[in-house]
Amino acid sequence: MHDLHYERPRTTAEACGLLAAAKGRAMILAGGTDLQIRLRDQPRAGLIVDIKKIPELCSIRPGAAGALEIGSAVTLRALIDDPTVGAAFPALALAALAVGSFQVRGRATLGGNLCNASPCMDTAPVLLLLGASLRLQSARGSRELPLTRFFTGVKRTLLEPDELCTTILIPAAARRLVTAFGKVKRVQGHDLALVNAAVSLDPEAETLGAAIGSAATTPVVCEPLTGVSSRSPDAALLGDALAGAALKVIQPIDDVRASAEYRRDMTAMLCRRLVREVVSGRRAS
Amino acid sequence: MNNIPIRLTINGEAYALEVPPHRTLLQLLKGGLHLDGVKEGCGIGECGACTVIVDDAPVNACLILAAECDGAVIRTPESETQDGVLSDLQQAFIDFGAIQCGFCTAGMLSSARALLDRNRNPSRVEIAEAIAGNYCRCTGYQPIIDAIAAVAAARDHGGYQASPVPPGPYVGGSTKRIDGPAKVTGSAQFVHDMVLPGMLYARIKTSPHPAARILKIDTAKARQMPGVRAVLVGADLPYKLGLYMVDKDILARGQVRHQGEAVAAVAALSIEEAEAAVDAIEVTYEETPAVLDVGTALKDGAPQVHPDLASYSFMKGVFFPAPGRNIAHHQKIRKGDVAKGFAQAARVFEHSFENPPVQHVPMETHAAIAQALPTGEVDIITSAQSPFTVRSLFCHTFKLPLQKVRVRVPYVGGGFGGKAGIHLEPLVYCLSKAAGGRPVKIIATREEEFNTLPSRQGLSSRIKTGVKSDGQITAMEIEYLWDAGAYADYGVNIGRAAAYSGAGPYVVPSCKLDSKVVYTNKIYGTAYRGFGHLEVLWGIERNLDIIARAMNIDPYVLRQRNLLRVGETTITGEEFTTGHGRPEECLRLVAKAIGWEPAARAPAPIKPGSGKVRGKGLAMLHKAPAMPTYTSCSVVIKLEPDASATLLVSGIDYGQGTYTTLAQIAADALTIPIDRVHVPWEADTQFTPYDWQTVASRFTVMGGNAVIEAARDCLAQIRKTAAAALGVDPEALVIERGRVFVPGKADAGLDFKQLAVGYTFPNGNSIGGPVIGHGRYIAHGLTNLDPETGQGRPALNWTYGAHGVEVEVDTDTGEVRLLRIASAFDPGKVLNEQQCRTQVIGGVVQGLGSAVAEKFVFANGRLLNNSFVDYKIPTAKDVPGEMQQFFVETPHPEGPHGARGIAEHPMISVPSAIGNAVANATGVEIMTLPLDPEAVYLALKRAAR
Repeated sequence: MHDLHYERPRTTAEACGLLAAAKGRAMILAGGTDLQIRLRDQPRAGLIVDIKKIPELCSIRPGAAGALEIGSAVTLRALIDDPTVGAAFPALALAALAVGSFQVRGRATLGGNLCNASPCMDTAPVLLLLGASLRLQSARGSRELPLTRFFTGVKRTLLEPDELCTTILIPAAARRLVTAFGKVKRVQGHDLALVNAAVSLDPEAETLGAAIGSAATTPVVCEPLTGVSSRSPDAALLGDALAGAALKVIQPIDDVRASAEYRRDMTAMLCRRLVREVVSGRRAS
Repeated sequence: MNNIPIRLTINGEAYALEVPPHRTLLQLLKGGLHLDGVKEGCGIGECGACTVIVDDAPVNACLILAAECDGAVIRTPESETQDGVLSDLQQAFIDFGAIQCGFCTAGMLSSARALLDRNRNPSRVEIAEAIAGNYCRCTGYQPIIDAIAAVAAARDHGGYQASPVPPGPYVGGSTKRIDGPAKVTGSAQFVHDMVLPGMLYARIKTSPHPAARILKIDTAKARQMPGVRAVLVGADLPYKLGLYMVDKDILARGQVRHQGEAVAAVAALSIEEAEAAVDAIEVTYEETPAVLDVGTALKDGAPQVHPDLASYSFMKGVFFPAPGRNIAHHQKIRKGDVAKGFAQAARVFEHSFENPPVQHVPMETHAAIAQALPTGEVDIITSAQSPFTVRSLFCHTFKLPLQKVRVRVPYVGGGFGGKAGIHLEPLVYCLSKAAGGRPVKIIATREEEFNTLPSRQGLSSRIKTGVKSDGQITAMEIEYLWDAGAYADYGVNIGRAAAYSGAGPYVVPSCKLDSKVVYTNKIYGTAYRGFGHLEVLWGIERNLDIIARAMNIDPYVLRQRNLLRVGETTITGEEFTTGHGRPEECLRLVAKAIGWEPAARAPAPIKPGSGKVRGKGLAMLHKAPAMPTYTSCSVVIKLEPDASATLLVSGIDYGQGTYTTLAQIAADALTIPIDRVHVPWEADTQFTPYDWQTVASRFTVMGGNAVIEAARDCLAQIRKTAAAALGVDPEALVIERGRVFVPGKADAGLDFKQLAVGYTFPNGNSIGGPVIGHGRYIAHGLTNLDPETGQGRPALNWTYGAHGVEVEVDTDTGEVRLLRIASAFDPGKVLNEQQCRTQVIGGVVQGLGSAVAEKFVFANGRLLNNSFVDYKIPTAKDVPGEMQQFFVETPHPEGPHGARGIAEHPMISVPSAIGNAVANATGVEIMTLPLDPEAVYLALKRAAR
């Protein structure tokens, strides 16, 4: 009854070979927390390519020119517990911590969270502001794509059917940013974001940026504020200005989780709240 | 099949298996290996019931393919018990009352074990985080967190030691749950876990439309599919089902009345084959005008949800349907002279309130197995709240004599009213018949649990109140419009019960109340913990606070001034006596506990974005069992040859703990240790004695009385045989600690063991015989309510209570956090203190769900949130910071040891108290539940304009 196959390659090359041969009928299995639900609801046919046993996809390591490379199959739990990530990019760890339950974070992967491309994914806003890019590999070769260009719609990306996202790269320059993450949800326990947001202050370039999730078909980045002095910033003024910039780029809708109005107001609220955090260097409770 | 070879270790045993690619780890563990301690609660990784430990990490087994587990080391909860000795966690779960229905227990233990393995000394916050992915609908999480914390704390002090077993007398103590060991070890069998030889699996096809004519159902393709043994559509099943109002189809016949209604069903060799066949069934619909709210339904000329209502059978003299008007029942209460009452009032207020439909969310979805035997007999195993009511309704529908139908109920994973009455049993019986008599099983998916099985009804309330200047109520005119949904077989009684309770626990000299149960094309409603009372008291208790603020009277004082007191009468004319209990004391206790300040005044409306604000709130509650006047209960106690006692009951303990309480009562009455009392968990119409239904917080009261009578019967038989054996007058004997003797001559007495199955003289002559006692209870003196005035005595006993809360509102987001809650009840007598406390904690957290999160969201009659992704219930991280419980013990003259019911009550009025506290914190009155972040935020925003 099922025309479903399962393969567990040991190398990226092997995985890419399988994807190429499957001619668009392959499904990449990382943590499985999204794929498994799709398998439950859809006809079961095609090739499952389980990438968890490919060592290079499961490591966090220094890359070229001071970049940090995170393998796409690194679990959110591993990301949260990683001391380098915690020290250099605490907002990324917080965003990962905002995903699902303890059980889910132990399986779900950073690459999966991004490639599944749900508009409410929690890890994208921070990574967008950090200037992250993705390394996409196929039997045809390898390319790097800035995350800002990756998402094209609800559950749609520029990932080709024969491509595998192997690595999330965070550039060295991101280390100087002061970044905060926030999420509005319905209960204290695990829930999808009604709105999530990251705000980032670049003390060198004197810019302040925001990225918002769950308020458009993809996460969106607003036009950054410039000339933001980090010496005596007025958080209230900056918060209002950033909220204004964010409201220009979001296109929220009414759905089962929240109204567009609430999403708009929470976008502005998160911008203001997160600006206070990055300016003060303290997490708002 | 493209099977994949895997090697893995499960609970220390090595396995080499071949698995198909789509097989989940959960399916492997449960279906293949029968490690049935592991449960399935949702299938999408939201509820955590299937949590197991894979390579030291807790995972949802439903989200992992078995193929992924090659080389893995897996632990299921079955690994907790070593050499028959419970683990520290298992023992602590029992000791702390961290188990009720037991369905989440296994997954909870896995999450807890993995936490303790990685964190030697976790804080309570870390514990909550670790188990927040495991839903529990019964316990309110706090006892679970306590249990895990106790095990962690004992690590450096020699390890966790079991708490001492409380000695007798047992009534009033905290006897540990007698079902604890079965539930922590995973050996308790639920219908979900059961497989019979030759069993088929059923799946259903449901309607995508809220209202439509079924033009054609093409099953030809489905019938040809592999593994299919039976296909049924509504036209095959000319039956109607129902408890009070017989209005339900087994499968929709001709017309669908709500989205999610079953229109066809398949039985096949496997669930997958049944699903594939269901997908192949083609249904042609013609949509018809849908009635989606009560206002529309009541308009002249509205489409009729049940055009044939006039022809339906229903309980006459109790319910009053109005055919042609979409009204399934209209309950009237008329007391005093309302016009005169309003004329006497200094001020008259009118307010409207709304409650959305919500779901019970038992962790075990509905499940049933039925077999149509070739003899014409029927065997049913079901996850239900009453085997006898399933049997009687089943036999009524199929016109079968009762003795031909056997209904068994094993362990049940929570019900909360949703498993009362009759549900999937008739469908699987018909499928079994169509499949030549093989047993057929159905397990509702979580989506079907939301969309196809019943919910709590929505309610629109309009409350008009006349008040004197000192706050005394002179009159109330109330209209309750219940959104029954497509069927009202049970819902009619909610409209009735919530009417006779419908003015709250207050003196209302003149009252005109109309409670109408209205059909709409929505998911239908049924009993849900508190049976209409949470809903009506949302309005009644919010109404009082709004009046208090408007009149500048302390809400505490306003309540105390109007509470029912001895000599006054309820709105149905029942006199309030000392035996009713002390509502005023409950209110006093909670007000004191939360530091209620008379001067607490709501501020002017606070704008959104003003940070966090706090407020306190109070609310009263009351409820009596809502049931027919004649419901009864019986109990049999058999003494075994070793003088242990077997207690046979047919009420169901689906987590609330009644069997433990009954065992306590029995042990004390029989003067034997509680570990000598056995209560078999499977209720069986063939062997266990009659009980109407386990609903309405009636089982402890009625069952407890029956147990006392049955124990007395046993003792009378023992006494009689002992008297003959000892050659003394029966009246001369006393019974103590399982021994019968003449006072002062204990040595010359007899042990129960010598009498339990008959006494044998030294010469071999024997007398007596096996001791079997029976006891029964039927409510006395209840009356049907007068059709025109609603006057009468509807209630066996009333339990009163109150909540006091403090909340914090984040005005930036609208999020409401319950900082603390004090709850007080007058249960007459606390029979088991730990169970009363844990029942209150669990009920409060369930009430918190109704207060701040839970609601059905519809779009054009289609339910948008039919899964745990978008129907959120409280998790371990949502638990209030502090929960206190108080019990006032005013004996009820007819209760066992003076006890009243307390199972449903903790949930009632939790939303009301929180709503009042939010108003006190923000100055904004919110009339609609739930108080979810968006609703509160937008209310503040609108008020600030």
